[in-house]
Amino acid sequence: MIAETMKRRRLLQAIAAAVPLSAQQQPAPRPGSARPMGAPTPPPNLDTSVADEAAGTVTRFFTPPQFSALRKLSDTLMPPMSGAPGALDAQAPEFLDFLISQSPAPRQQLYRAGLDALNAAAHRRFGNAFAEVSAPQAAELLAPLRQPWTFDPPADPLAAFLRAAKADVRTATMNSQEYVKHSANSGRRGFGGQGLYWYTLD
Amino acid sequence: MAKTYDVLIIGSGASGGMAANILTGRGASCVMLEAGPQVDFQRERGYKNVYELPYRGFGKPGKLEHVFQANEFNANQWVDEQQVPYTHPAGEPFNWVRVRMIGGKSNFWARMSFRLSDYEFKAKDHDGYGENWPISLADLAPFYSRVEGIFRVTGRKEGLPQLPDGNFVEDESPDSETVQLFAAAAKAHGIPTTKIRRALGTGQLASSWNLLLPDAVNSGNLTLVTNAVVRRLTVDKNTGKVNGALFHDRHSGREMEVRAKAVVLGASCLESTRILLNSGIANSSGVLGHYLHDQFYMSSSVAAVVPEARDGKTRIFGSGYIPRFRNLHTKEKNFIRGYALDFSFGGTPDAKYFGSWGEQLEKDLASVRGAGFGCTSMGEVLPRYENFVAASKTVKDAWGIPVLDIHCKYGENEINMAKDAVDTIAEVCRTAKFEVLNRNDKMYPPGYSIHELGTCRMGDDPKKSVLNKWNQSHDIKNLFVVDGSSFVTGGSQNPTMTILALSMRASEYLADQMKAGSI
Repeated sequence: MIAETMKRRRLLQAIAAAVPLSAQQQPAPRPGSARPMGAPTPPPNLDTSVADEAAGTVTRFFTPPQFSALRKLSDTLMPPMSGAPGALDAQAPEFLDFLISQSPAPRQQLYRAGLDALNAAAHRRFGNAFAEVSAPQAAELLAPLRQPWTFDPPADPLAAFLRAAKADVRTATMNSQEYVKHSANSGRRGFGGQGLYWYTLD
Repeated sequence: MAKTYDVLIIGSGASGGMAANILTGRGASCVMLEAGPQVDFQRERGYKNVYELPYRGFGKPGKLEHVFQANEFNANQWVDEQQVPYTHPAGEPFNWVRVRMIGGKSNFWARMSFRLSDYEFKAKDHDGYGENWPISLADLAPFYSRVEGIFRVTGRKEGLPQLPDGNFVEDESPDSETVQLFAAAAKAHGIPTTKIRRALGTGQLASSWNLLLPDAVNSGNLTLVTNAVVRRLTVDKNTGKVNGALFHDRHSGREMEVRAKAVVLGASCLESTRILLNSGIANSSGVLGHYLHDQFYMSSSVAAVVPEARDGKTRIFGSGYIPRFRNLHTKEKNFIRGYALDFSFGGTPDAKYFGSWGEQLEKDLASVRGAGFGCTSMGEVLPRYENFVAASKTVKDAWGIPVLDIHCKYGENEINMAKDAVDTIAEVCRTAKFEVLNRNDKMYPPGYSIHELGTCRMGDDPKKSVLNKWNQSHDIKNLFVVDGSSFVTGGSQNPTMTILALSMRASEYLADQMKAGSI
């Protein structure tokens, strides 16, 4: 998806560059609207991109087995559906690797212990890492998610992790550029979408 | 030394703004110190896509950990907890949610506008617990009416003694069919319902900023100083009266001194008390900082689905309010006082309530889209001496001012009340034949409601209270505290209307006293 987007942008840039300057539409100055000599010209408002459009996240926090399990879990919780990008399309696991690396220690421990527990349970029951189990086997391992929601997180570390991951993977996916743009293009109301942002107050 | 003003007002939110409005209108020359800036909505806010935010909407981890209302879009509107920290015992969090800008929290409140009743003002008479207020509803009613007029409060008159009617912009819109269904089910359980009472304000705000301060500024009698972080009040050694304040410029830290003949504190409940504690005054009673209380909140106490609206069969909408109904005429088994709830229809229940994931979760959510019932329980918290704030001896903020050490936890009365609220509303939902998805009787930490009250309470007895019935210090006659810190009890009603009415009443009293030469 990233490669396709970059190709589109390069194509548009190439077309724009190929058009002679004289042929580009330039509004003629209106009589009397010329700026006085020395008046500042406002700089142009250029079209910019978010980093995700051009680059991938470098993952450093989780171990390879943990990250493989997180990718599988993300894809299971939020697969591509009805043409909408899934968690892997949205680079949700890569983003969560960054987010959790910045998070307070208890959240880091929740994820690390949870992913380790998921892999251990997969090995114990199916002789494979979680990344290698089949969809029905994964569903069995995610059974703690079927417990009714409670205000306090479950005492069991795996259940507590799965609950957090379900919410986080969903948010990381639905707040991604891929998902929001897909929702906008398909007429669906995107989760989050646009919001009124408060800049740092002077 | 600069001029001496008639009145120094600290804080520009609901209570400070009202004081400025009244006092300048009476001809007093006032100076107001606001710890934050005036926000330029055009320059300091703008629309962004969520994916453009550095943390995809999650917010910076660890920032504003006590402000559950914060998200990555609005994070900069709240007080930075690293710049102005506070402390609490491990395992006993207090969610102190603060705003520093012109208008303060009145720029962001939910606009829920209710009067207290004599069930609150005379609570001790009713159930024997705590203290009565030194005033009654009759004392405050004329001021409520004027405040409701300024803020354009809309509501439906019901004649309920526990939720007195007001000077409303009459809400004559009919209840939706779903609200009627729910109201009938509630009535079967002896529970009243009404319309939500809400301040309409003008334009995009119902704030001190647009409704109170413009008249004060236009009078020519108000000097409004922004970015002024107050360290402490100053006292005339000869008279024992307050005569101004020391403050710091927020940006540079430069320390300044301002002089006035009287001081009105309206810096918000805990900030006003912090200033008094750091000033070492107004505490001959020993109760300054004590009797901290708020209202406990449980959002989504009961999450339910209206079956008729599943799969988009019918569109449902509407909202309402359940005023306190417990312990009015009878005594409950295991708690005193009561709780209120607001409810609404037409939302989509959160994904967390479904034990599914992937495609099945999307199907589950699609089935209930727009079919949800949600409610928030808001319960009275008893004012207890052992819930208190004190000036920290070790931790200071970015300007070197001692921070607050907050000790507050809920007790058995609140826990039992919360359980009753959830049990009762779940039962009403069943009577209405809603599908109950989830119920939650766990309260958010104290402070979450942003309705912190007490710590500088009023009363007739100077040995038991900090302020008299005019919000005037028992110890220092030219010192007034007009915000939520003056509350004796809070009830279950949102407190803003009462804060505004108290500030209006106290400010007129101060103006009269100054005119008479008594202050």
